[in-house]
Amino acid sequence: MKPSIRIQTQDFDLGAEYKLLRQLDAAVGAVVTFTGLVRDLEKNAVIKSLTLQHYPGMTESLLQEIVDQAAARWDLIGLTVIHRVGELLPSDQIVFVGVASQHRADAFEAAQFVMDYLKTKATFWKKVDQGDQQHWVESKDSDQTASQRWQTHD
Amino acid sequence: MPLSCSIKPAASPATGLLGLNMIKLLFFGRLGDFAEGVAPNIEARADLTPAKIRDLLAADHPALFAELSQPQVLISLNQMIVGWEQPVFDGAELAFLPPVTGG
Repeated sequence: MKPSIRIQTQDFDLGAEYKLLRQLDAAVGAVVTFTGLVRDLEKNAVIKSLTLQHYPGMTESLLQEIVDQAAARWDLIGLTVIHRVGELLPSDQIVFVGVASQHRADAFEAAQFVMDYLKTKATFWKKVDQGDQQHWVESKDSDQTASQRWQTHD
Repeated sequence: MPLSCSIKPAASPATGLLGLNMIKLLFFGRLGDFAEGVAPNIEARADLTPAKIRDLLAADHPALFAELSQPQVLISLNQMIVGWEQPVFDGAELAFLPPVTGG
């Protein structure tokens, strides 16, 4: 399994990432990609920008653990995780997860697992700038619930 | 600017960028806002734990202490999640982590 984990300020190219996964191996029969974007609304208020903070070193280690767990659980050929940090604007790309596998079920499930675990375990924090005020985004119970569903299968 | 906004790589526990007798403190997310004015390093001493370090901050930074006392706050020592009673030694990097919101 070929993993690729990147934390970066610059944008990423969905097509280029898909192509890399597709070309990893002739055995690749399925590629599932997920891209997360900055919404223009936070709690029904318009946002100007979003700033993503991470814990250099630890965040990479936690993403590696998540990728390792996915690789142990599903039959994967490639798994790419890209997470941007720094200041982002509405509609900007934040996160990319791409999974290549022989069959679609592995790729679909692994992609969901990685996103659910990333949202609840990887050390990233979002701060929203709404012009007149700034605040840190609060974690959501729905993300915890989404993450926990994978634990019940262990 | 919050203490924790530094983009530079965190000190490696193996190489121990900090001098002896010091413990590096990091406060992430909203905790960074409450930690403005907190010294980035504290002097190590015998029997220190994350819980005791939090208590040491209480007198000068009561609002930060209240935030750190929220049950959902996690702590890491040299970038590994640990409990509040874990011994903290010289040269360690102790980080206070509010619930994560990436993705």
